[in-house]
Formats: sequence, structure tokens, C-alpha cells
Amino acid sequence: MNTVTLIILRRMRTPILLLIGVYSITILGMVLIPGVDDQGNVWHMSFFHAFYFVSYTATTIGFGEIPYALTDAQRLWALITVYSTVIAWFYALGKILGLIQNKAFQNAVATNKFKNDIKAIHQPFYLICGFGETGKAVVNSLTEEHYRTVVVEKDEKNLNQLNLDELKEYVPSIIGDASEPNILELAGIQHKMCQGVIAVTASDETNLKIAITSKLLHPEIKVACRSEFKDVEENMLSFGTDHIVNPFESFADIFSMLIHSPSLYLIYDWLTGAPNTKLSEPIYINKGPWILCGYGRFGCELYKHLKTKNLPTVIIDPDENLKEAFDQKREDSPFIVGTGTDHKTLNKAGVVSAAGIIAGSDNDSNNLSIIMTALEINPNIFVIARQNKWNNHILYSSFDKQNKVEDDPTTCLIMHPREIIARKIRSYFLTPLLDNFLNLARQQDNEWSNITISRLSAIAGESRPHVWSIRIDKLSAPTIEQALRFGRTMKIEHLIQDPGNRQSKLRCVPLLLIRDNKEQLLPNDDIDIEMNDRILFCGTHDVKRNMNWTLNVMRSLNYVMSFEDEPESYIWRLFYRYRNKLERRHNR
Amino acid sequence: MNLEKVVFSFFMILALTLNFGFFYGDVVDPDHHNIYELFAVIVINLIATVLKFGDRSQMGAMLLATSLVAVVQLISASVVWTFAVHIQQIGLTPTVMATIVSLSGGAFLANIISVILLMIEAAMLRR
Repeated sequence: MNTVTLIILRRMRTPILLLIGVYSITILGMVLIPGVDDQGNVWHMSFFHAFYFVSYTATTIGFGEIPYALTDAQRLWALITVYSTVIAWFYALGKILGLIQNKAFQNAVATNKFKNDIKAIHQPFYLICGFGETGKAVVNSLTEEHYRTVVVEKDEKNLNQLNLDELKEYVPSIIGDASEPNILELAGIQHKMCQGVIAVTASDETNLKIAITSKLLHPEIKVACRSEFKDVEENMLSFGTDHIVNPFESFADIFSMLIHSPSLYLIYDWLTGAPNTKLSEPIYINKGPWILCGYGRFGCELYKHLKTKNLPTVIIDPDENLKEAFDQKREDSPFIVGTGTDHKTLNKAGVVSAAGIIAGSDNDSNNLSIIMTALEINPNIFVIARQNKWNNHILYSSFDKQNKVEDDPTTCLIMHPREIIARKIRSYFLTPLLDNFLNLARQQDNEWSNITISRLSAIAGESRPHVWSIRIDKLSAPTIEQALRFGRTMKIEHLIQDPGNRQSKLRCVPLLLIRDNKEQLLPNDDIDIEMNDRILFCGTHDVKRNMNWTLNVMRSLNYVMSFEDEPESYIWRLFYRYRNKLERRHNR
Repeated sequence: MNLEKVVFSFFMILALTLNFGFFYGDVVDPDHHNIYELFAVIVINLIATVLKFGDRSQMGAMLLATSLVAVVQLISASVVWTFAVHIQQIGLTPTVMATIVSLSGGAFLANIISVILLMIEAAMLRR
């Protein structure tokens, strides 16, 4: 028996006993007291009538004196019946209402519901610990693809927003500390459909604990963690955490793409962003030195990439100790002590001729002040701002809008930790091949990126494209598997043929082909498909759906390969053959 | 001495004894089966059932089950009585009376099992 029923039964014991007692006494009284029928004879109410009388009296319905008018003695007893039963009912109702309002009872009900929700999940789902800014973004992107998710969050306030947001899938949630193993167990970490645990709470310590717990309780599932500190990260890796996202490192990575080639950054942004959102504008960066304000965890990572690209950099940081440590390392970049929020420091750093400025301190007001001042002096400068708190999102985006001129390339890049982590986790779980693609793309030159981005923009139209991968095997592409087994030759061009219309091709680009661990970037259309190939595609959502026809329905596959619409039933096939024969004869 | 045990045992055994009183006699003879006794048996059995609500122990669950069986049987008996007397108005014919008494006999058996369970529980207690 579950806790909720037990609590109700135990609490309702006294009221029910009281009701039984009052009912039985009043019924018995009604039966025993003699009455008079319409002919003046002595008449006793039967148990049936007495029960009826007491029932409608107790519930204050009051049909009256049925079947005969009561005598005064009966009326006296009816009075006692009215007061005792009505009071007993009020007592019982009061108990029930009190129970419903009881916090402990409500928790028991919520937990019970949560348990049932988890039990009812029959498709793969992900467990998300921490429903802060990052957690929200992750849940959004996973539910958008119709994946089920379960949320564990410590703060009730954060969870309340879950119901307000309109998500495409129902998300069961529970209030609780995710670092406690029993909460994770409750949330279905051992459920056989649980595919992965995503630990994105604000504390590294908690994330670490979640990772350990998941690896112990369910070793097969994938675990992705957010971590901001190196030592925690190493600890996580030591017991096999599958994926660790450090927002600073990840942004540094993105930054390296940006300074390598602005088009490459655009490819990253289009492919990893949430599908169906507006496409970001191309980016243009002048040549020249960079200014890096803030040399903390964030600044250090970016500086490494600036150095490997041999871009001259000026560092500004208010901390004297950092300068000393920096000078000792004999780096040749100049280091200025200051916040960078004033004209003097920025001028000294050469903001007039700089290509870009990075506002990377851990203080949002300072960062905003740095970029405003820098833009005042040099309006053409490229700005990278680090956003620390999600609440300051409005300030940053309004700055972004003010600064933006219609049809001008973007000159501003804002680092949202939440967005970066969500994108990382999304691509890790939903499109694992995308990482391989971006890594390969990074080794290509600017020219390649420019060509690729123009191909992508041709198929994408107005909004961000979908990215999906297919695997040529019996499960995900049964028709292709069958065709290959019978020795037919399939090419990639067949996959991107529209199965609904022989004249046109699907608007998609094959991004990557993986065969026997060998990766091929942007495979050509005339490449033969082999068993167990994995192909990463990019296109609109409709294209993904259309391609599924070719992958799953033999008729569609025949159509895209032969441009013939063959009938499937026996009689029609006979007729079809007969007609073809006639035609051939006629042509002769 | 545990007051809860005393109260519950009291109601359980009272249910059994009252039920025996109702059940005992000629099966088809209405004069041998008092309606007030049936009423009392139903009420006492209901109370005994509610007293076992929310008991987590295995014995508690068994006792709840046996009392529920008794209640269901007795209420069926009273419904048969009501049907015969008030709705069909055929009165307490031998067939009707036999049905009522045999239903209460079933309840009587359930009550016996309850009391046996009570005795087992008491025998197992070594305090």
C-alpha cells in the first residue's frame, strides 16, 4: 500500500468510527421509537427506512417526514439525529480538508505522483539535475526533439517555472537535493529507459556527487557534467564521466573558431543552435591587435588561443599579483593594471587601432562599462562580452540591439554560459557526430568555411537548420539494408532525392560520412553507401521527415532509384506488366 | 497492557459472538434470527474494520481482509432482507431467510478466522 493511502486511512480512522457510531445509534433509535401511521395504528420504522431517514438528515438534504408524519417522541429523536450526525460530518470533512492542506501530506502526494510518472515512462529519457538557467535550456532543447526528461531541483521557486513554460513533452519534476542518492533513485536513475544523467547544478561539488552516484547505480548510462574547476573535472574523469562541459573552455574553443575564420564560427552557431530559431548574421572582424580585459579563468583560456594564432594582445586586469605572475612567465604581451572601464586605461591599451576587445571580468556592470567605453572611442571594434548572471540578459541584449545597424555584419559576441553548456550537451546527446564534424572543420582553411556556409545558407532559408545523423543498418534504415543485401548499389544522391517528387532534391547537405572509423568531410553525392555507414545531415525538419520515407518504405526507395512508381498488389502488378508489354509492342 | 489491543479484540470477539447469536437456529425460520442482532453485527464489524485502517503490519493486513469479507457478506445479507421485505414485498419466505442466514454464516466464518488470527498473534507475543 502506498504512503498516501496509508496516511488517509490512518487519519480518517477516528472520523469514520465516529460516523459509524452516530449512525448506528440514531438508526437504532429511529427503529425502536414507535410511530403512528396514517390510520392511527402503532408503526415501527424498519431499518431500511431508518437508514434512509438518517442518511438524508445527516447530509442536511432533509426530504421531510417520510413515509408518515413523525410523532413528538420521534421528532425529539430526529433532533438528536440532526445535531449529532451533522456535527460528525463536519468533523470528518474538517479532518479531510486539514489533511489536504497538510504540507507533509502534499509532499507525499507529489512524491507519489512523481513515482507513478516515472514508472509510466516507456521511452528513452534523460535525467536532468538542476533546473537553473542551464537546466532550463537543456530541458527545452531535449523536449523540442520530443525526448522525455525528468527534472530534479533543490529550489521550489525554480521548479514552479517549469509549469509555466510550454514544453512539447510532459516533464515530471521533484524537489530534492540531487546529491542524495535516494533522490536520484526516486527520479529513475535505475530505470531501464534512463539514457543519461545531465548534472548542471550550480555547484561543482554536487555535480561530482551526481556523477559518482550515477556511475555506481547504473554504470551503463551516459553522464554529462558541468564543471568550472580543473581539479573537479579531473576527479570526474577519473571514474569515467562521459562528458564534461566547462563553460570557459568551451567558449575559448568557440573563440578560437571565431579568430580562425568568422565563417567557421557561423557554421558552429547555425548547426548547434536550437532549430527553427532565427539565423545569426555573418561576422566581420578587422585586422589588428586584441585587448583582453580580465585575466581570470576566462581570460587565461582566451589568451592561450590568441597566442597560438599569433595575434598581438594587450591584457588589462586590476590585480597586481596577476601582473607579477604574468611577467615572471616572460610573456611578450603588455600587461596593464586597471579595470578597463575608463578612457585612460583603454587608450593606453590602444583601443583606437584594436581589432577587438574582450570584456571578460566576473562583474557584469564592469563588462558592460568596458564595452560601452570602448565603442565610444572606436565604433568599429569587435566586442566580446562575458555575461555572468542570466538576469543581466536584458541589459546585454538591449546593448546588442542598440549597437546593431540593419544589414551590417555583427560586431558583438556575448558569451552566455547557459547557452554554451546547453548547446554542448544537446549536441553530445542528440547529434554526437556534430563534434567530429566541427573538429574536422577546424582543420580547414577560411576558403572552405566560406564555401560551406554558402551551401548551408542555400538550404537553410530563414531559420536554423536541423542536424541529424543516420546509420545504415537494419534498425534505422531497413530498406537500404535490404537493397544492399541484394547487391544493389546505393549512392548518397539517392538519399537526398525527394521521395515525393522525382524532379527535385531534398534541401539538405551531407556533412560527414563515417565508415570504419574514417571520417569524410562533406561527402560527394556519388559516393556509394555501405553497411554501417554513419552520415550526418543538415537540413530543414521537413527534409528529415521526407528522408525517413526513403529509409523505411521500399516503394519510396524504388521510386528514388528508378523514378518508377511500381504498384504493390498482385493484380495491379499483372496489369502493369501487361500494359508495359503492349507499349513495347506498340513502339516496335 | 495495550489499550489498542484490548479495544480491537473486544470488537472482534463481540462481532463473532453476536454473529453466532444471529446465525444459530433453524435456517428457514425468521423467528430464530433477530434483525436487531444483524444490525448490531454489521455495526460492530464495521467498527472492527475501521480500527485496522492504516495498520502496516502483516497481521493487520490479514485482519483487515477478514473483516472486509465479513462486512461484505453481512451487507449483502441486509440488502437481501431489504429487497425481500420492502422492494419485492414477498416477506421473509424460507428461501429468503436461508439466503440471509447462509450469508451471515459466511461472515461468521470470516469472524472465526479473525479471532484465530488474533489468538495466533497473542500466542506469538512473548512479553
